[in-house]
Amino acid sequence: MSKTILAVDDSGSLRQMLSFSLKAAGYGVIEAVDGQDGLNKAKQHKVDLVLTDQNMPGMDGLSLIKALRAMKNYQSVPILMLTTESGDDMKAMGRAAGANGWLVKPFDPARLTEVVKKLIG
Amino acid sequence: MIANDMSSSERLNAQVMNLLSGVSEHGDQHLAEVERDLVQMDVLLDEAIKKLCASFMAIHHAVDLQQKALNGLLADGMPAPEYAAHFEALRGEINQHVGAAVTGLQFQDMTSQLIGRMVQHLAGLRDVFGALDTNGSVLPESNNEALLATLSHISDRVGTCCTELAGGVRSTVNQRHMESGDIELF
Repeated sequence: MSKTILAVDDSGSLRQMLSFSLKAAGYGVIEAVDGQDGLNKAKQHKVDLVLTDQNMPGMDGLSLIKALRAMKNYQSVPILMLTTESGDDMKAMGRAAGANGWLVKPFDPARLTEVVKKLIG
Repeated sequence: MIANDMSSSERLNAQVMNLLSGVSEHGDQHLAEVERDLVQMDVLLDEAIKKLCASFMAIHHAVDLQQKALNGLLADGMPAPEYAAHFEALRGEINQHVGAAVTGLQFQDMTSQLIGRMVQHLAGLRDVFGALDTNGSVLPESNNEALLATLSHISDRVGTCCTELAGGVRSTVNQRHMESGDIELF
């Protein structure tokens, strides 16, 4: 059975590219349009890895990570931030919130799948 | 028009009030135009990227089918080694271009974020121009006290607008390298 990845981004084109790249690598993908939608879908489905943007309307990426880490079944699920933010302060905040890694946009599909494979096989 | 029978103090008050209203009105008009254009630019970019994404997906699907058909043909016969190597090289080349296209199609997202940030700044500037508006009010007193009080009030409103703007604007997009971004695992 393929592993499932929750891709959270408010940009439709970004979600489409993420979905395309991850599905091509054999993963199942659930898309969410913002942090709140991501949190709802994380509660409804069994997810093996979360990829989230930071700047989104409503709930942002850091808030989503904190909310997920507060849930018992998401304490050890890898969470990656995929964002335009590249400052050390933001990365430190992401790390403190419980992110496992930081990817700066735009992503290269081969490098992305390499990282995902390293984390969840 | 400022009447000639006014005292110099009254004329000064009226001129300042006119100036503030004029700056407020014209500034707001120009910013509203720029804001409309930016929003329209975002709509056009969004439409362009949707069409490009749809075409990209369709092309990829067709190439994928072609590749499968080719694999079937190769499996049936015994292609010359140079052809087999050539097909393999082409497959690698296609994958490389697909990867580059996926990276390229993400730049609209970053552009859209910057446009959103510019629109926020424009809205903030329009608030500042709105704060300058004296709403056609005329100062009743001929001394400068009323003018000073009005300017102080406007200054406070402008200060409030600037504080609100600073707190609400999303961070900028500082992408300098046009290849894929850094990856850091914690």
